[in-house]
Amino acid sequence: MFGRIRRESPFACAQAWVIPGIMASLWFALSQTGAVPQYLLPHPLEVIRAGHSYLLGSPGETPYAGRFYSDLCSSLMRVFLGFTFALAVGIPAGIMSGRIPAVNRLLSNTVNGIRAVPGICWLPLAMVWFGIGMKTTVFLVALAAFFPIYLNTAAGARQVNPLHYRAGAMMGVTRIRGIFAILLPASMPQIITGLRLGLGIAWAYLVLGELTGVPDGLGAVIMDARMLGRIDMIVVGIVLIAGIGRVSDLLLYHAMRLLFRSARRTA
Amino acid sequence: MKRHLKVIAPSPFAGREKILEIRGLGKRFESNGRLLKVLDQVDFTVGEGEFICILGRSGCGKTTLLNILAGFIPPTAGEVLLRGRPVSGPGPDRCVVFQEDALFPWLTVEENIAFGMRGPKQAVKDEVEHFLSLVGLTEFRSYLPREISGGMKQRVALARVLILRPALLLMDEPFAALDAQARQGMQNLLLSLWAKFAHTILFVTHDVGEAVKMADRILLMDGDTGSIREEIPVHLARPREKDSVGFLRLLRHLMERL
Repeated sequence: MFGRIRRESPFACAQAWVIPGIMASLWFALSQTGAVPQYLLPHPLEVIRAGHSYLLGSPGETPYAGRFYSDLCSSLMRVFLGFTFALAVGIPAGIMSGRIPAVNRLLSNTVNGIRAVPGICWLPLAMVWFGIGMKTTVFLVALAAFFPIYLNTAAGARQVNPLHYRAGAMMGVTRIRGIFAILLPASMPQIITGLRLGLGIAWAYLVLGELTGVPDGLGAVIMDARMLGRIDMIVVGIVLIAGIGRVSDLLLYHAMRLLFRSARRTA
Repeated sequence: MKRHLKVIAPSPFAGREKILEIRGLGKRFESNGRLLKVLDQVDFTVGEGEFICILGRSGCGKTTLLNILAGFIPPTAGEVLLRGRPVSGPGPDRCVVFQEDALFPWLTVEENIAFGMRGPKQAVKDEVEHFLSLVGLTEFRSYLPREISGGMKQRVALARVLILRPALLLMDEPFAALDAQARQGMQNLLLSLWAKFAHTILFVTHDVGEAVKMADRILLMDGDTGSIREEIPVHLARPREKDSVGFLRLLRHLMERL
């Protein structure tokens, strides 16, 4: 009656795989008939073979064999660090700018100006500042993830129902407690949206940061494979980033729901 | 016999301790360079345990008056004294039941009721339990506001403030958005709670029948002057019969004056 328990039917679950399934079939069909030459798009079986060796092969067998886990760890570390910086600055700054008009006026030109600069423009500067590798990538990831987190949090904080503040005030809620008891839970849906967008863009900028010649990481593998003309490995890298990006998004969403009841109930 | 049957008092105010005093209250708003006088020279006094209805057409300043009493907005003239002390800012001694749904959507019914409570966990739990049963929502304790009806929401809104034992209960057309049946149920619930706890209630409404049914005293607000035009004590025995001669006579009088 009230939709408390909502289990999706197997059919509904399968729906999520319809488009990936069609894309894979199309790819297979195109390769099988030879409509697309191998040097433009390798056969799916080739890609699976390359992926298998990359994920499960023993190191030294082939150039990429068995490198996946160390690449994954380096990339995850960079995304995690950059995203954490973005979150630690973005949420408090967003809350303040959403609630305090003076802070909003103070930040709006700067934030929206910097936001308009494409990430790739920062790359040369970041390399001069931080050198090649970890720091540059973390900087790019943090910078990129900050904007969606900040902007969505600010929008969420701005839209809190004024009646909820009045209700809180009349029940004796102080300003500070109001932040945690009213403001954050009320803005939770937008905060989660911001975090998810931020994490998505974090993966994009990870690859950008890793294209600069770092020795390890998923982006580095793609760049490396391009130099060596290993298109199958490029496709492996793309598919892996897509998969890991999706999984990290799900993990983030469910972690938020696990940690905050407001996320569980309103997002 | 209902519990809330009360003896007809010669004057509802007689013998009561003075709890709220409003002196020369005024409120002006400035919009687009035009000065809008909403309240002007509002004076009245409320006795401990009195049920006051502020009756007026929509837009006559009733809600503004209530917002000033709650401390949400400051007056531009005059003062509000609660037990002799001037009111500044909102506080749990003057609780409001709003017209619209103002429950926290991320909290369940019982969490909403417990929101303003401080103190030892067990004591809070017992109190919440008590108030859940008073408003008849024990079965719905773990529901979220979006899962219950409008009438139930207003019962939660009532319970979450009654639990704080406010000196003054301010109600801003709390049942206006409900259907006739739910409204009547809520009116009866409020009257029985009032008989039990003897709160002081300031109840804003535009519904003449509601005012006659509920009030010890009706303050008729005038939208043109922004002041109280008439004070009408209601000497009808409780529970009040909607078709009794006295009820209808008062109803007609108020209809003409409104």
